[in-house]
Amino acid sequence: MLRIEHLSKRYGEKKAVEDLSLHIQAGEIFGFIGHNGAGKSTTLKSAVGILQFDEGTIQIGGKDIRKEPLACKKMLAYIPDNPDLYEFMSGIKYLNFVADIFGIPSAERQERIRKYADLLELTGDLAEPVSAYSHGMKQKLAVISAWIHDPKLIVMDEPFVGLDPKASHLLKEMMREHCDRGGAIFFSTHVLEVAEKLCDKVAIIKQGRLVREGTMEEVRGDDSLEEVFLELEAE
Amino acid sequence: MLKVLLKKQLAEVFRNCWFDAKKNRMRSKKAVAAWFFIYLVLIVGLLGGIFTVLSLNVCGPLVQLGLGWLYFLLMGGIAILLGAFGSVFNTYSSLYLAKDNDLLLSMPIPVRTIMAARILNVYLLGAMYSAVVLIPAVFVYWLEAGPSAARIICGLLLLVIVTVIVLLLSCVLGYAVARISVKLRHKSFFTVLLSLLFIGGYYFFYYKANGFLRDFLMNAESYGEKIKGAAYGLWLFGRIGEGDFPAAVVFGAAAGGLFLLVWHIIAKSFLSIASAGEKTGKVRYVEKAVRQKTVPGALLAKEFSRFTSSASYMLNCGMGILFLIATGVMLLVMGREFLKLAAQALSGRQDSIAVLLCVMICMIAAMNDMAAPSVSLEGKSIWIPQSLPVAPKTVLRAKAAVQLILSGIPVLFASVCAAVVVPSSVPVRLLLCLTALVHTVFSAMFNMMLGVKMPVMNWTSETGPIKQGGAIVVSMFGGWGICIAMGGLYLLIGYRIGAVPYLLLCSLLLGAAALFLLRWLDTKGADSFAAL
Repeated sequence: MLRIEHLSKRYGEKKAVEDLSLHIQAGEIFGFIGHNGAGKSTTLKSAVGILQFDEGTIQIGGKDIRKEPLACKKMLAYIPDNPDLYEFMSGIKYLNFVADIFGIPSAERQERIRKYADLLELTGDLAEPVSAYSHGMKQKLAVISAWIHDPKLIVMDEPFVGLDPKASHLLKEMMREHCDRGGAIFFSTHVLEVAEKLCDKVAIIKQGRLVREGTMEEVRGDDSLEEVFLELEAE
Repeated sequence: MLKVLLKKQLAEVFRNCWFDAKKNRMRSKKAVAAWFFIYLVLIVGLLGGIFTVLSLNVCGPLVQLGLGWLYFLLMGGIAILLGAFGSVFNTYSSLYLAKDNDLLLSMPIPVRTIMAARILNVYLLGAMYSAVVLIPAVFVYWLEAGPSAARIICGLLLLVIVTVIVLLLSCVLGYAVARISVKLRHKSFFTVLLSLLFIGGYYFFYYKANGFLRDFLMNAESYGEKIKGAAYGLWLFGRIGEGDFPAAVVFGAAAGGLFLLVWHIIAKSFLSIASAGEKTGKVRYVEKAVRQKTVPGALLAKEFSRFTSSASYMLNCGMGILFLIATGVMLLVMGREFLKLAAQALSGRQDSIAVLLCVMICMIAAMNDMAAPSVSLEGKSIWIPQSLPVAPKTVLRAKAAVQLILSGIPVLFASVCAAVVVPSSVPVRLLLCLTALVHTVFSAMFNMMLGVKMPVMNWTSETGPIKQGGAIVVSMFGGWGICIAMGGLYLLIGYRIGAVPYLLLCSLLLGAAALFLLRWLDTKGADSFAAL
């Protein structure tokens, strides 16, 4: 579903990501772990076509993000670390805007909005302007907008930040269900317990380089993910 | 602390001058000097020039009549009006709606210090506008009446007093808007309505200014006596410029006292207003069937929502819409009389009137520059268009289309009205309309190009990109420059080839430039937008 090969990205003299390769298959929840500034967000932004990278290739569903950006973007949804949405719109206007861009027919979008907004308990606030939303409500809206067009790949940067425990639990269920239906999820997190319980595969990045990657069992062995992570950080 | 906050705010306002966001590095000293030179030429050169000419016309006759105070009353009044007009619209958003209010309020900074930094920002903007009137006025007076220590000191004091009065007016209106808007759902439209009333008054005064000035100069002595007798305060105000120390002290103390009172009132409520949510009732969501839009349609609707959501955006970038409609109506109502006079002034060159009318419509249309700040206004939500399956050129075209639609319709109305009343042949009338419309297309592309070339993505108040961004300044003055060149060239040499070939040539040149800019937006501009 997502194939990153030899990705490198520099900001001036600083190497943010160097020779990073990752393959994410359909049906997988793939966790991406690293300390602050390790290159997680840079990788995610490059994968969704927001950031132009220096070297390497990124393919989504077999299509190159550089050569066919629109075809790739049609297959994916992205949720950034900070949900800066259009504050001048109401929640429902924003969802309809995203649905229009993805060409979702009216009946279908209404059904999905109803389903996910009810699930995340946001229905009552959909007519309110986004500017009046709390951080958690914006995050919920960003989640609904990602799920509204039923993408094959969902890329999320720290998706649990700002969500209440119930919404976090629901999001984990939504992620699992999405992958069970053949989708894929690539997300970054600092919450290692979540990654440990939720992910099928995990990758650890340090100073822009991939230091460990594989199934959860392969990466952690007999230790906990936290122990492995701290050990790798100390090296 | 205040110094640090003020430095932060000024750094934000003038960031474009010394920081190249595209190259992510500081500009060279030469580039910084060039930026300041451009600002200086635009603000001091153009506006200051207009008021220097006015001062030169008015000062001499009044000083000879011994009515120097009346001269300062007039120029001081204009400075107050212009200063308040220039800064009043950003007072509310600068004071209460800055995005970093929460951050600063969470820091160990006294609330009054935050407030003082915000107010100083408003003060500087108001002072800049009033200074372009008053500095030439004071210099012209010194030349006319002769400089003395008292006149120089009091002239400077007058400048300070006027800027404090401007700040006072801005703060009072900003406070009133804030108090009302926390209880309003459609605050943008309320603010626009209030501001339009203010602007209506301003332009009514401006419209009457010529007649008023003529009458004022002819009957200066009698007006002087009346004002002195009935409004002692106004006489006292004018006396300051003439070098009257007691008047300066009295007026300075009164203005200072009033400002302290306003400061006290604002300080008492600043925290509650700055941190207040809307106190309006919650809107209940009712599921409704929606019609699916096309991608360009959805982007266009989004841009219209953005424009109508902000009073500041509408007022600063869309004022030309109203002026164009008003111009069209005025041309229909009293155009024929006015054009007869103009024909006499132009020695019967009927077609020149058509060309100049076309230039006038283009100049008013150049006040519509909603495309220029539209890229910057994406701000931190730029990730949305960048991550959605939309070509960057489609996003840019939607932004340009908003200006094209909002400006094009009133331009068509005004130019058709002009074509109805102008005493010219049918081809000239048709070309008047065509040139104005082609100019509108060019203007939208030109402003969009500036928006892409000069983006300011990290702002804490939308006033930054809307009012102070480089794109907005260049689009407004650059747009006017092009129109002035169009009119000037016709009067200098263009009339020799006649109105029809000249307007046709203008249409062709503007059309070609618009096509070139559209091509640039679709290719390099789209690449730049994607890389933001």
